[in-house]
Amino acid sequence: MPDRLDELATAKRVAAEFQPGQTIALGPGLPARVAEVVPPGAPVQLLSDGGVLGYHRIGVGGSATLDANGKPAKLNPGASAIGLADWAGMLRGGHVDTAVIQPARVSANGDFTGWQTAATPDLFAPGPAVDLAAGSSRVIAMLRHTEPDGSPNIVSRLEGPVDGRGCIDLIVTDLGVIEVGPAGLELIEAAPGVTDDDVAALTGAPLRVPANMQPMGFQPTTGNPPAKVFSSGLSAVSDVPNGAVVMIDGFAGPGGTPHYLLTSLRDHGARELTIISNTAGIARVVNFGTPPGKQAIDHTILIDNRQVRKAVASYPVSPSASRPTAFEMAYRRGEVELELVPQGTLAERLRAGGAGVEAFYTPTGAGTLIADGKETRVIDGRSYVLERALRADFCIIRGHRADTLGNVVYKGTSRNFNSVMAPAARVTIVEVDEVVEPGVLGPEQIITPGIYINRIVVRPPDFSPYE
Amino acid sequence: MPREKVFASCAAAVADIPDGSTVLISGFADFGFPRGLVNALGASGVGGLTVISCDGAVPGPSPKISRLVANGQVSKLISPMPFPPGSGGVIEERWRAGRLELEVVPQGVLVERLRAGGAGLGGVFLPTSVGTRFEQDREKRTFPRGEAVLELPLKADYALIEVRVADTLGNAVYNASARNSAPVMAMAARVTIAEAGRIVEPGALDPEAIISPGIFVNRVVERLSARPVQAVPRE
Repeated sequence: MPDRLDELATAKRVAAEFQPGQTIALGPGLPARVAEVVPPGAPVQLLSDGGVLGYHRIGVGGSATLDANGKPAKLNPGASAIGLADWAGMLRGGHVDTAVIQPARVSANGDFTGWQTAATPDLFAPGPAVDLAAGSSRVIAMLRHTEPDGSPNIVSRLEGPVDGRGCIDLIVTDLGVIEVGPAGLELIEAAPGVTDDDVAALTGAPLRVPANMQPMGFQPTTGNPPAKVFSSGLSAVSDVPNGAVVMIDGFAGPGGTPHYLLTSLRDHGARELTIISNTAGIARVVNFGTPPGKQAIDHTILIDNRQVRKAVASYPVSPSASRPTAFEMAYRRGEVELELVPQGTLAERLRAGGAGVEAFYTPTGAGTLIADGKETRVIDGRSYVLERALRADFCIIRGHRADTLGNVVYKGTSRNFNSVMAPAARVTIVEVDEVVEPGVLGPEQIITPGIYINRIVVRPPDFSPYE
Repeated sequence: MPREKVFASCAAAVADIPDGSTVLISGFADFGFPRGLVNALGASGVGGLTVISCDGAVPGPSPKISRLVANGQVSKLISPMPFPPGSGGVIEERWRAGRLELEVVPQGVLVERLRAGGAGLGGVFLPTSVGTRFEQDREKRTFPRGEAVLELPLKADYALIEVRVADTLGNAVYNASARNSAPVMAMAARVTIAEAGRIVEPGALDPEAIISPGIFVNRVVERLSARPVQAVPRE
């Protein structure tokens, strides 16, 4: 029998796969041990279903926070405490770069079965494994190459139902590293002292071996994650293309509107935008305390600059018929399209987009014009409308403080749509009053974890939300 | 100050839970597990319960849930991992004897179904179970990002949760891993009962840091002896 890697060495090999800036979700069993080899200063962050984003398990001690094995985790500066619904949304919403799971068996086409033992052949208990495998961009299976009796855990195909189909991208075992590709399995590294023949003999599926196989690498991830703090609003929105879908936070009045980023988007000039927002700009026509001689900055500046093609909004018109909004007038002129969404449905569709829910049945709007053209369904005697998730290319939101990892806290009403909007876009940009170092915002205090924030801009101290 | 949500004891807080109720119980690897309330539920002798818990994968359900099962009080258990592989204890025994129904739901699907129940949704289309044994014969649709399965909301009669601090209006904050499934369970039950490390007057909690607003918490009861918060792994 060849020498096998011990669990920590296997964990180191898994950790060598991580790229700077990535979020890695660890499952129970062997994968949880990866937290013992990724130090707090590493340029990646670990996610545990035990309720923490940003932890490690190096050295002694711990906290009231658990890793995926129910053992005490130690919080990195900038860690956030999360609930299980947050954890699941991060995975399903596509926010996790890599998941590491320990399947019982993996097949050559990337299917896997979870923890099933001879003791419970008729009951499969996946815990978090199905969620981890289904939700992550890349899935690494970390397992023992064989059972103690020598039977292979990597097989040609799995008979019967599986816990994930075609989702394993890489297999790391105590004997080697195997890539799962369209043409089957390829051994890319063998453990020190192990030959490719050793590995092939203990693998229950055909294994291709490249001519120049690399020695096994255990290098920890180095380099810096992409910096999130941008020097100006304009630099943060400079890659918003024409035709982009842009979410804009804000409730109604000045509270919670990213005024500075709105002016940046106007100055950048991208056109044919679809904006998703609660209002389509009413602060300008409703006096929320605008100083005399000034006008509030709102969506109007994009409408007047002819940058908007369509709005998805719940409150696109002025409450006063005599003072119509810029959007209203553009709509009457036939220059813009409108999709009207009730406020709560808008929030739920945004939340669905960020949390990887494709669609949902809501009672809101059933039997009204809102339901026209949509599927309606009676469930337990109540009418529901099927509403789809909303997603966007970019999202601009208003926070109060952020740390350099992108963790955000809000102030009062300014939270409004932020927390559901931030996860729903490919690139989310937050405008804050202050940027602080990781660790200044407490883990129980953080409302939007940095996993959802790509760029941070400080609103200049002399910036006025009126012009 | 309003006191009507504050109950004097765990026994008083669970006294009206009738036979046949669906009860949500928070906790992950025993963190955030409402011990006093579950003990009181055990002592009350109520039966025919459907228990929904999401207690973390590796250790399996809390011994306290096993005790409810051993007491014969539970007729159905919904969980992502009703017992750890190979060491099923009383839950496995009862299940094999046909005296306990088990429904296994992937962890993230379970909490999303609870959230759907709590948020008043009629169902959610989730991609998680597609292609797996958990897809079963349920309705499936194709969306722009791929296929998704219709998952139905879970609602309950009662939720028993543990919180770090609650005010007398029921606003609650959690401590680290003790948060787990409690916020969605609090939303999904008709009556949510929070076992709090401490009960404070309204205004003592920072409004920006409240995780479960009082609208979701109907009863609060102070833990008799606040145990020190520490990580105690079960090997």
